[in-house]
Amino acid sequence: MRHPWLRRLLDFHGLLFLFFVYAPIIIVVVYSFNSHPVNMMVWKDFTFDWYLSIFGNPTKLNEQTLYVESTDQLLAAVKNSLLVASTTTAFSTIVGTATALAVYRHHFRLKPFYQGLLFMPMVMPDIVLGIALLVFFVNFGIKLGLFSIIIGHCTFLISYVFVVVSARLAGMDDTLEQASADLGANPWITFRRVTLPQILPGIVGGALLAFIISMDDLVITYFIAGVDSTTLPVFIYGMLRRGVKPEINAIATLMLVFSFVIASLGLYFRKRT
Amino acid sequence: MAVKRDSRRLFALLTPGTVFLGIFFLGPLAVMVVFSFLEPGLYGGVEWNFYHWNYGRILGWADGEWEDFDPVYAEIFFRSVRLALTNVAITLLICYPAALWVSGLSARWRTFVVFIVTLPFFVSLVVRLFCWVLILRPSGFLSSTLLGLGLISEPIDIIYTETAVLIGMAYILLPFMFLPLYASIEKLDHSLVEASYDLGANPYQTFLRVILPSTLPGIAAGSVLVFIPSLGNFIVPDLLGGAKVLMIGNLVEQQFLSARNWPFGSALSVMIMLVMFLLIVIYLRRIGRSEIVR
Repeated sequence: MRHPWLRRLLDFHGLLFLFFVYAPIIIVVVYSFNSHPVNMMVWKDFTFDWYLSIFGNPTKLNEQTLYVESTDQLLAAVKNSLLVASTTTAFSTIVGTATALAVYRHHFRLKPFYQGLLFMPMVMPDIVLGIALLVFFVNFGIKLGLFSIIIGHCTFLISYVFVVVSARLAGMDDTLEQASADLGANPWITFRRVTLPQILPGIVGGALLAFIISMDDLVITYFIAGVDSTTLPVFIYGMLRRGVKPEINAIATLMLVFSFVIASLGLYFRKRT
Repeated sequence: MAVKRDSRRLFALLTPGTVFLGIFFLGPLAVMVVFSFLEPGLYGGVEWNFYHWNYGRILGWADGEWEDFDPVYAEIFFRSVRLALTNVAITLLICYPAALWVSGLSARWRTFVVFIVTLPFFVSLVVRLFCWVLILRPSGFLSSTLLGLGLISEPIDIIYTETAVLIGMAYILLPFMFLPLYASIEKLDHSLVEASYDLGANPYQTFLRVILPSTLPGIAAGSVLVFIPSLGNFIVPDLLGGAKVLMIGNLVEQQFLSARNWPFGSALSVMIMLVMFLLIVIYLRRIGRSEIVR
């Protein structure tokens, strides 16, 4: 770089940028340990009480604000989220991988159509897809609940798995597969012994991505969840709309840690591709 | 024989995805378009008559009979477009220098910084917005800190303004701008930049004549990817904008969950979808599909 002052200016901007990205998150994490009972943004003492209280343990701080019934709802929402995320991940990983294998290992006339079709759910605004699914389910008498949430998530998660697995397939050449076929292996053996081991990191990466997006989805789930089946993000959104409570800090911190772990794993698997 | 078996395998691989997306992706979108042309019933349902005033209502003509011209929905629509465009400008101004900065780092730092910039993207939307609610509230972090430092004398109220909505939207959509920009800046041929300096250009000229033109595809991709989710957003204006900064997404949500005018809500939703299609078509015509289908 010819102009050192330019470099320094960029360095400064870069640090500001990282500050903008991480400061809000760090603030929430730090203040989730704050024991101030009235103003949660004025630091008083270090405490674990908010964490205890979200799991239903009575503590000194939250006797007035305690809402025991919420703990059951919270745990039910977590259970729903995990159930939905694991089901949708399994389904969309299989279907997304199969479609990617079809599109990137075969030649057929409708190929551009499929590339477009699988690209669409990813750019479709959440609210449009959520509304469309709601109208569809109600119009055809499908009961809103866990089943409709699972269907709704799969419509866009298949695309994410498709994109990750396709990237892997596009990056490897098919000479090994042809060699395997030439040596007399049938297509199934070729797939299991040659193709699958090579694309496995892509499949695992795609599955983790699908899992985390399903766990985090708010907008689409919000429209198609029905009354008695909320997921964790919808539950927190409802809590936030009623008012900000210190317990949300603690829940948010736990979710942050969870997302960071899964995302790191996912990016690790994608890096290996 | 081999060809026949091959086509049978292709059929088996394609069928599950085709059937599922056909029924549960294209099907719902088609039903939504149909609903947008139906007459809203008196008590929330729909009448199966062709009715185009759902679209007229967006522009201000409610039903052509007894309701007066009222551009309130058109205003909300244009506010949404204005805020979405502003958000594109903000994220571009934040991310372009940041992407330049990252591309100038050493290889190991580069991978690491891209990783930590992407990481918050995987955190739930509601959690990331909650962070900003805590910061921007009158009793929130920003206000308390400034009060504590004695810089202001009474709590400042940023939440429930357009500024708050823009901060929130920029925050949640940053990666959509950063990643395409970074991808195109990374591909930049540095010998061109060197050549420009050797020929006596100053940094400003070099940027305008060399760096900017060759990173236009990244700018276009980032702008489209930020504009689309900004336009239809309803969570950010709901949590940070309150009732004062209604956007088209809030309007859609109201039509479905409280006003129960599903045809009008569908028509609004179709409008968002049309804007999206228009942008994608322009993008593909201008930039080419190779950039999008990576």
